[in-house]
Amino acid sequence: MRRFLLLALVFSFAAMAFSASIPKDTVVIGMNTGIFISFDPAVCYEVEPAIMVMNIYSGLFKLQEINGTIQAVPELAESYDISQDGKTWTFHIRKGVSFANGDPVNADAVVYSVKRVLQLKKSPVWLFESLGLNANNMNETVKKIDDYTVQITMDKSYAPNIVMSIFAESWGGIVDPKVAQSHDVSGDMGSAYLADHSAGAGPYILKSWQRNNMIVLVANDKYWRGAPRIKTIIIRDMPESTDQQLALKRGDIDIAWNLTPEQVNSLKGDPNFNVVSVPAQSNEYLAVNAGWGPFKDVRVRQAVKYAIDYDSIIKNIAGGYAIKVQGFIPYGYLGYVSDMPFDQNISKAKELLAQAGYANGFEVELVTNTTERRRNEAIAIQADLAKIGIKANITIMQASQMYTKMREQGIQMIIAGWGIDFPDPDALAKPFADYRVKQLAWRMMWYDDHAADLAEAAGFELNQTKRVEIYKELTNYWFDNGPFAILYQPLSYWGTRAELKGFDQTAKGYSLAFDLTKMYK
Amino acid sequence: MKLGSYILKRSLLMLLVMFGVLAIVFAIVHVIPADPVGALLGGNAPPDVVERMKEQLGLNKPLFDQFVNYVWGVVHGNLGNSIQSGRPVIRDIEEYFPVTLQLSIASIIISIFFGIFLGIFSAIYRNRWIDHFSRIFSILGVSMPVFWTGLILLLIFYYILGWLPGTGQLSLFIIPPEKITGMILVDSLLEGNWEAFWDGLRHLILPAAVLGYAATASIARITRASMLDVLNQDYIRTARAKGMPKRIVIYRHALKNALIPVITIIGLTFGGLLEGAVLTETVFGLPGLGRYIVNALLVLDYPAIMGGTLFIALVYSLVNLSVDLIYAVLDPRMRV
Repeated sequence: MRRFLLLALVFSFAAMAFSASIPKDTVVIGMNTGIFISFDPAVCYEVEPAIMVMNIYSGLFKLQEINGTIQAVPELAESYDISQDGKTWTFHIRKGVSFANGDPVNADAVVYSVKRVLQLKKSPVWLFESLGLNANNMNETVKKIDDYTVQITMDKSYAPNIVMSIFAESWGGIVDPKVAQSHDVSGDMGSAYLADHSAGAGPYILKSWQRNNMIVLVANDKYWRGAPRIKTIIIRDMPESTDQQLALKRGDIDIAWNLTPEQVNSLKGDPNFNVVSVPAQSNEYLAVNAGWGPFKDVRVRQAVKYAIDYDSIIKNIAGGYAIKVQGFIPYGYLGYVSDMPFDQNISKAKELLAQAGYANGFEVELVTNTTERRRNEAIAIQADLAKIGIKANITIMQASQMYTKMREQGIQMIIAGWGIDFPDPDALAKPFADYRVKQLAWRMMWYDDHAADLAEAAGFELNQTKRVEIYKELTNYWFDNGPFAILYQPLSYWGTRAELKGFDQTAKGYSLAFDLTKMYK
Repeated sequence: MKLGSYILKRSLLMLLVMFGVLAIVFAIVHVIPADPVGALLGGNAPPDVVERMKEQLGLNKPLFDQFVNYVWGVVHGNLGNSIQSGRPVIRDIEEYFPVTLQLSIASIIISIFFGIFLGIFSAIYRNRWIDHFSRIFSILGVSMPVFWTGLILLLIFYYILGWLPGTGQLSLFIIPPEKITGMILVDSLLEGNWEAFWDGLRHLILPAAVLGYAATASIARITRASMLDVLNQDYIRTARAKGMPKRIVIYRHALKNALIPVITIIGLTFGGLLEGAVLTETVFGLPGLGRYIVNALLVLDYPAIMGGTLFIALVYSLVNLSVDLIYAVLDPRMRV
């Protein structure tokens, strides 16, 4: 009898296994959602949640990849005028657009949303502040002209693409003031509520978020471009990449977000799956501290750049999921320089070291963080440097610890990555070449005024052709003098089920642009 | 009365332990040469933005002031807000702990069942093949990494055989029960939602088996030792000499007495499970307390780390206290 019961139990389990498959109007994503903190546009700053926020909240502009370049195109701003001096922008807001709950999108909502970011002062606020907008001057700089016109005055005449790109990102999402204010708790402007609710005019609505468990988005049928084809998007928290691989193969998820290169390569050639990959919006770099010992000498910095075997790192460590880039402006950006001046050349590197008086090499601490890929890169570069007599001692630390040390200018040599904040060469030229903005160049003590002047000039250049020329000049100067070696531009990649169509269009421009409306089944 | 003063004494001691835990954890997380603001803002933020955020969060105050503020909050039942999410830590714990509790209860049931039976058989058939087998079996449980066992079981039962569901707590299209206790099985029972109960149970089998199996060895070992000890005593020989059936002697006379030390180890094991089995929760995608605390550690979310640790210390102490009380009830000699 007992045995019979056991058998019956086993069979009933087996019978239950053929559960319902995913409906045609639903997409299920397996993703590690550990870094999700908030869906509030004024708070959210991390990559994955930010791309969801961009699909929940429409902004004045929207980022799109057009002909291989990410550009800001008008979304809620139907048109705009720029004043003679280039500082004051007048946005004409599209009429007849409403939030998902039916409230109208108007000048009040736009002014409220921009001021909200400035007032809450959370992680993304510095991007608006970099345009000269802040909580103290916002009543003068961010103004409603009439119900559908808003005027914003920057402190300088920034290149239009910079302004548009910054307003096109997640923090530029327009929030329904009524909803936000009605959930205000002790002056948080609804921030606690909007962490897991939504009040936007984008193509999707955040229906629920159970932390570390599941996020559900449903289509906004009132979206002004028309309701998206996929009605429900479910993001299941799967911290383990092997789980994602198994679930994808079993058909329990449509998209596996965090596969390893080996796992995603195993899907290739199987007609049931697609592998989608796009250039990532980031740079992987090695940097040396130009204010420390031997690296003060430009020849030593060049020697390091000639010591690295770039191709081997791309092939063996990034598993081929990387593009060879050596300038700070990545592929697909205005001002991209295709020159590759550095290849491994040990004799040249040794010669440069000898000229600088370090024929016998020296010792240096090489810092990187705990991810497996960075560890491997550190080991490969350690071996490369050993060939020219430089003894690099690797120190691995948590990213938070590493960046703290870097901000204190306390790192001799580092391998890290730079995620691009907005799709304009300015977001790269400034950190990598202008020490005055206190970003990477400053952290690595490269106080080079010529480079800083060029980076600044390009930022204010309104003529696109001239701008590109300045970036080219800067990049060539930077190749010779800078403390950075760009190792590669990574590729982002996903495994998807073949019945899901259009995901390659969705992912174009990831992680700055990501359009969930492009996918269908 | 004696029991009452015993409990009171233990509770006072517990307060002292809590304070110690608080002070030590506070010291440790603040000694690490990194700052949570850097972790929160990522690698791109300029230094002045980092400084301003520190000021907003009160992290630029002297350490002693921060500690006093924190203790003051805790005394008033406020564990502070998570730096990362801005939510009250107590709310996060409320959300994540039931998942860990349910998993721990299921696991401890499995490990008690296997542990006690293996222990008894080992003792009765001492040094025979059953003994060797059960010892190897239970040692394997501790020595195989939970992470690995979990993935292998998922591969077999979910991917290849398809008998059991994959990760998570419920299947996608099952309507979850209303939140009452936060434990899916309990809530769906209370609500009479049989579909959710059945589905939740199927989701719980693998993680509970993995975790329970890992905890089996210690229980089996103590049961075996304690059982051997009891079986060698005079009253057992007397019972056998009187001609009592072996079964009755073992299960009625010996087991009852042999189980007393086992209870301690069960309590300790259960307390350990409640700390949150980070790896099991990760492999099976469960939103439990272990993962919450580890995530907090990675970004140095001080209030979350301290609140979580303090809560676990409290639970652990409470479990220990209950074990001691059960002990006292079972063995009158302990009350003296």
